Amino acid sequence: MKKLAIKFSIEKPKTTLLITLVITMILSSGLQFILMDDNIMNMLPKDTPSRKIWDNIVDEFQYSDFLFVAFGNKNKDVLTNENIKLIWDLTEKISNVPEVDEVISLATMKRIDGDEGFLEVNDLIPHRNLNQTQINNLSKYIDDNSIIKSRLLNNNKDFINIIIRPKKDANFPNMVSNIEKITMPYEKNIEFHYGGQPYIAGKVPGLIKIETMQLMSMGLIIMSIILLINLRSISSVLMILMLIFMSMLSMMGLLGWIFFLTGSPYFFFTFLNSSMPIVLLTIANSDGVHVLSRFFRESRKHKNVKKAITLTMEQLSLPIFLTSITTSAAFVTMTTSPIPAMTGYGISIAFGILWAWVLSCTLLPALINLKKWDFSKKALSQPSILENIINIFGKTILNHPKKILGSGIIIVTISALGIQYVNVEVNLINLFKSGNSIKESTYFLDEEMAGSMNLMIKVNEDLKDPNILNQMDEIQNFLQNIPIVNTTLSITDIIKEMHMKVMDNDEVFHTIPNNRQKITNLFTMYSLSGEPDDFESLVNYDYDTGLITTMMHTVSTNDIVILANKIQNFLNITTPNLNIEVSGLMMFLKDFVSMVVKSSITSILFSIIIILFIAWTFFRSFKFGMLSIIPLTCSIIVNFGLMGWFGIDLSHFTALLTSIIIGVGVDFSIHYISDFKHCINDIDITNKSMEVMKNVGYPILLDVFSNMGFAALIFSSLIPLIQMGGLMVFAMISTSIGTLTILASIMEINKQKL
Amino acid sequence: MKYIHKSIFILFFSGLFALTGNELVMQMELKPNPNNAKANMNMTLKNKKGKIRTSTIHSIIKNNGEKQIIWFLSPADDKGIAFLKIEHEEKNDEMQIWLPAFKKTKRISSKKRSDSFMGSDMSYEDMSTRKKEHYNFNIIKSEKYNDIKCHVLESIPKKHIRSEYSKHHTWIDASLLIPLKENSYDKNDIILKEKTFSYIEINSFQILKEIHVKNIQKNHSTKLIFEKIKLNTDIDDNIFHERHLKYLPKL
Repeated sequence: MKKLAIKFSIEKPKTTLLITLVITMILSSGLQFILMDDNIMNMLPKDTPSRKIWDNIVDEFQYSDFLFVAFGNKNKDVLTNENIKLIWDLTEKISNVPEVDEVISLATMKRIDGDEGFLEVNDLIPHRNLNQTQINNLSKYIDDNSIIKSRLLNNNKDFINIIIRPKKDANFPNMVSNIEKITMPYEKNIEFHYGGQPYIAGKVPGLIKIETMQLMSMGLIIMSIILLINLRSISSVLMILMLIFMSMLSMMGLLGWIFFLTGSPYFFFTFLNSSMPIVLLTIANSDGVHVLSRFFRESRKHKNVKKAITLTMEQLSLPIFLTSITTSAAFVTMTTSPIPAMTGYGISIAFGILWAWVLSCTLLPALINLKKWDFSKKALSQPSILENIINIFGKTILNHPKKILGSGIIIVTISALGIQYVNVEVNLINLFKSGNSIKESTYFLDEEMAGSMNLMIKVNEDLKDPNILNQMDEIQNFLQNIPIVNTTLSITDIIKEMHMKVMDNDEVFHTIPNNRQKITNLFTMYSLSGEPDDFESLVNYDYDTGLITTMMHTVSTNDIVILANKIQNFLNITTPNLNIEVSGLMMFLKDFVSMVVKSSITSILFSIIIILFIAWTFFRSFKFGMLSIIPLTCSIIVNFGLMGWFGIDLSHFTALLTSIIIGVGVDFSIHYISDFKHCINDIDITNKSMEVMKNVGYPILLDVFSNMGFAALIFSSLIPLIQMGGLMVFAMISTSIGTLTILASIMEINKQKL
Repeated sequence: MKYIHKSIFILFFSGLFALTGNELVMQMELKPNPNNAKANMNMTLKNKKGKIRTSTIHSIIKNNGEKQIIWFLSPADDKGIAFLKIEHEEKNDEMQIWLPAFKKTKRISSKKRSDSFMGSDMSYEDMSTRKKEHYNFNIIKSEKYNDIKCHVLESIPKKHIRSEYSKHHTWIDASLLIPLKENSYDKNDIILKEKTFSYIEINSFQILKEIHVKNIQKNHSTKLIFEKIKLNTDIDDNIFHERHLKYLPKL
């Protein structure tokens, strides 16, 4: 079948070109169905405890991860007539944004006043235009009311917060864009800061998309130049680029189609997926480079296009098939990952790799055959600079195989020791460089306002029982004494406030009343003035489940894990009989860390085992199977080891990018082994390694050099893109060196036994 | 006397010309009402998840709701809480609540018209009479509702009136002149509440038996059922006093 397809493409190049183009177009039409989703809450599987609790909270109460918009001017009192009008207008406009469920601001909050037998529940800001006396009264009320002040104003009262509750399943990028359109006209005169997970999740994908496109374009230009310098043929470079683009479009289109047909969140496009084009690009480039460079070598020998391409495909069809199938299999193992988005990632990229293989075996020979080649040109008559370099390099390696192998083992061993120091960081905000506007804004909200990280404690008890309410109060007191906690809120705060107001504003009564009837009296009294859903975010309808919301600073994932454990210990010891569940962004990040580590280890081990099995089967030798995984295993060890030694954090993004190492690493070793086996019968055993080095060393090096353009990603302002660029460069260099040194020297040392 | 003349005039001309909104409202205003009423009211609130809260209230009203006193009978936790409201033309309304657990009577501020009535989906604005000087009335069509011939009356608040609504469409029984259904629209002209009314005839008065209000946007609803209705009994004005809040009346 494979041979038939290759033969068909050589015999009927135009038909082949047409068929591949049509299929690619159909596949890529799925691009329109791609749905971006970067809500970290959706990155955890639904059966994770914190996710389950979170889903219950969203269902029982409302969506409780907020977007914050703070504004003001430093050292200028924010409570002015103009600013109150602005709060009023922004509240009204933001409330009309389709993705917004609720806006919490001074314009939507209520005040409770009680004195000398009088009690009043009223709007905190009764109308848009307040006079100075009303503003002074408002300012005094806020000073006396910690619930409002801690959530909506900073200590200096020069900045004010608007808290936005997104609708469940809201599209965060659209919501952020709509809100920014509203605030933009005011930004000339007043300083604005935005934050919260919905903001980051809504803003980051766009930023990553723009920077990835810019830097990837730069990388592609550099890649094209390097390819052009070495291949010395514009049409060859264009052929490789065509192969790359067609595979990328098909892969992304498939992701869209599957989402369109299944509607499954496994096929959302998250920011993790933005690495897909780059991963596929390296693999498709590798296929193209191998075919073209081998074609040039064969052309030099035979001076006949058809013969050269036929011989090229005869020699390369197996290794390219093997590299594609092993890499695809490695990516398919991602479906075992507990992180839902990894499934769509793995399946789509596996398909993209297979489609790149199909195109390499059909489109590429067809295009080569369609082109009129001039054999007198340097490209076809003389070896390139890299080919000369690899000859010198190969001789050096193969003359000292034991020394090379020994040095390799030492490097891998030293690196391995660093793995224990790898730090896992999954909080998106920590993936930005200092000085980045999103990071600075978040820090501002953390320092000055309520904070952007949340912790939710769901209390499944009778919320009219004073004993339960007092225990909740105790939990809040504990939380408020944690330095990074800015504020906590639960129904106990409202009850204490109402109690004091009913008792003629006597602060002694800022407590939970001592009997149940008093508590129910307070609720009923409030209902005579308030709306039925005023407490919707604090207690459920039956008053048998309540929520303690804690707002805090963003900290490193490491600190989150320590703090989460401390809080859990406190709850276990102090309130052992209370039926409580803990969730929120903080617990998500904690669960996500272990999931990322588990997912990475599982995926890497599975991939290596599958690659071993496939290589073993196709080479019909366990020894060759083992040899094929050596370079990539060494690279992975060195990669994680160096991350540990140099303090580079492992994120869900970098963990995923380990697949690049596996993807390119296995390709290089399979090409090397395949050529080694191919040469067994043809060449004298003493020269075999050198011949293999000449055959595959050059395309490997060309592949590596052409991908160096992606080092441009290192200059990104976004740490994930820097990591992507860094890892690309590292993966290419380490796996190629691993193949051309460690693997080559092992095979040279053991060539008699192989 | 003035009203009698007006009604004869309206009845005479309504046969010759199509009825206008103002004329319809005038006819409704002229309908006699009981002077006072006692009833038990079962209030059922239902939220978007289908969860229900119920309470029973004993209510006494006089002068078309100008004076009202209510006592909570159930749930058990609320029993004894009482509420008194006296409306005044010239000054703020008086509102007081008795909190038995605190043994305290608290004066409550005058309500905003858009505020919820006792945590229900009805606002104080929903419960107040729409006066001609505050609204523009138009009959937009006539159609059958539940097989009853109805005028559909559109009420648009005049500019100087603070209202949570942009308009109301009310289906009014063309012969009994009682509202059967009403859709109320928010300021963006999107339907906010849907209300239905059913009646019982007592002493030739059409008395509300059941009100169902659904807040379409919040998916929250309220059902009020009136029971043990007694009209025009001997109710002394003195009962509408703070001291009566503390004691549940004999039912």
